[in-house]
Amino acid sequence: MLNDITIGQFFPGNSLIHRLDPRVKILLTIAYIAAVFVPVNWYGLGLAVLFLVTAVALSRLPVKLLWKSIKPILPIILFTALLNMFYVGGGTVLWEWGILKLTSKGLVNAAFLAVRIVCLIAGSSLLTYTTGPTTLTDALERLLGPLKVIRVPVHEIAMMMTIALRFIPTLVEETDKIMSAQKARGADMESGGLLQRIKALVPVLIPLFVSSFRRAYELAMAMECRCYHGGEGRTRMKQLHMGLRDAAAVAVMLLLFTAMILLNCWTAPVL
Amino acid sequence: MAVLEVRQLNYVYAAKTPYEKHALKDVSLQVEQGEFVGVIGHTGSGKSTLVQHLNGLLRPTSGQILLNGKDIWEKPKEIRRVRFEVGMVFQYPEHQLFEETVRRDIAFGPRNMGLSDEEVERRVQKAATFAGLREELLDSSPFDLSGGQKRRVAIAGVMAMEPQVLVLDEPTAGLDPRGREQMLRQIERYRRENGTTVLLVSHSMEDVAAIADRVLVMNGGEAAMMAPTEEVFSRAEELEAMGLSVPAVTRIFMALRRRGYDVGDNVYTVEKAVERLMPLLKRGCRPC
Ligand SMILES: Nc1ncnc2c1ncn2[C@@H]1O[C@H](COP(=O)(O)OP(=O)(O)OP(=O)(O)O)[C@@H](O)[C@H]1O
Ligand SMILES: [Mg+2]
Repeated sequence: MLNDITIGQFFPGNSLIHRLDPRVKILLTIAYIAAVFVPVNWYGLGLAVLFLVTAVALSRLPVKLLWKSIKPILPIILFTALLNMFYVGGGTVLWEWGILKLTSKGLVNAAFLAVRIVCLIAGSSLLTYTTGPTTLTDALERLLGPLKVIRVPVHEIAMMMTIALRFIPTLVEETDKIMSAQKARGADMESGGLLQRIKALVPVLIPLFVSSFRRAYELAMAMECRCYHGGEGRTRMKQLHMGLRDAAAVAVMLLLFTAMILLNCWTAPVL
Repeated sequence: MAVLEVRQLNYVYAAKTPYEKHALKDVSLQVEQGEFVGVIGHTGSGKSTLVQHLNGLLRPTSGQILLNGKDIWEKPKEIRRVRFEVGMVFQYPEHQLFEETVRRDIAFGPRNMGLSDEEVERRVQKAATFAGLREELLDSSPFDLSGGQKRRVAIAGVMAMEPQVLVLDEPTAGLDPRGREQMLRQIERYRRENGTTVLLVSHSMEDVAAIADRVLVMNGGEAAMMAPTEEVFSRAEELEAMGLSVPAVTRIFMALRRRGYDVGDNVYTVEKAVERLMPLLKRGCRPC
């Protein structure tokens, strides 16, 4: 049952997008999220969609995977769209019932918003699908590096994130094992009221905490034995390199922004 | 009639994903009442997967598990009853302790069975004795015990349910030689005095050779052999092909025989070895 949880949705590959420098990828993702909010009409938004489709095609990810990341937030998208549909007035009235009024403008607005959100989600999932969790924290550490000047413990935060991510599957496996062991002694976790179910978790949670602490001590000990002493003067096995392809990616993004702004000036807004 | 019967059991982990793993393939076997069955096999051969089916922790992808002739999945809602009949001790069971005192931890299983307080107490006492726990330990916290003592508490917790079949997944892993021997002796005594059927998963050929009546050999998810102990260990070449070995004494005796000493075959315990060597020594120990 617990095996179904997949956290860190990295989908290994060797495409152009996979090979981009993770720092550039993070910055480009942020830029893209901003870019999605620039267009005021369908031409600009179409450009954003085109950009996304191209990026997905280049990454060679199965489309099903992206759909999987959008599916859980579909209700939220629908809900927001629905609210907008009735909230925005103007245009011809299509349907009316009491205070509810559906207008053509409201409909267009709702569709526009839905496409925007889908772009947002798909764009940011592209980052997590094509970048491994450790690479991601590594890149974040580098990007946040300047904050060290104002004494933000950037390295420590990144290390904590890496360790946490690393131990999620281990803990899931451990939980599974402990649950089996208690079930073998007749623990009943599937029936009973809420209170009873919470009580039934005690025999699982206590051993889980105990073993988490044990693991933490062991890991700390092992790190100390290998002379770990924080980020000071630490070198890396995997050096990040920015290359031509990263420059090209940034250029494409700048082009997208320019095109969007120009389109905004020359064509009429839809809203 | 067999206490436990496994029919054409198949199990697939993570079915329909890239990580799909066919862990058990058409496994069939029968275990008789009161028998001591050793289960051996290379790492990843499916031993743990198999035994977790016996008390309904895993549900077969296909095939059946019969307990006293009845399919355990006939009424899925009542699977808990099966778990009281087939007691299961996991690998490294000391990691599952959670109560404030040893006594209460051992009582967890019997209490889940809905027994009266007196009956629970009686069983706790009895199980603690069988597992080799002294009376004064019962009121201490399980977290203050040594690793070996914790293991005993966990085993006692399952023995206290007084199951018809006791399954132990590597109960001696990580114990020192004396601890192993003691543990095995206590399990054997528990079996003799209660008439319990025991399945013991082990990586140690010596342990299995010393106490099992029959041995099940798992190989790559299949039940490769299921035969009386001496027969299994007499097929040394086959075992070695599966990445297993025979007990060290057996290897020594095979080497002796190759050099022409008349020591006979089927030697797989130290006692038997002594019995065979004594006459030879008296004769003045020469290849014949
Ligand atoms: N929860 C799981 N999810 C996916 N595959 C698993 C899982 N548990 C075990 N397997 C796989 O099933 C196979 C059999 O595993 P199993 O634990 O039964 O082996 P084993 O004989 O008990 O090994 P060991 O002697 O190391 O305990 C292995 O290849 C293992 O990788
Ligand atoms: Mg195992």
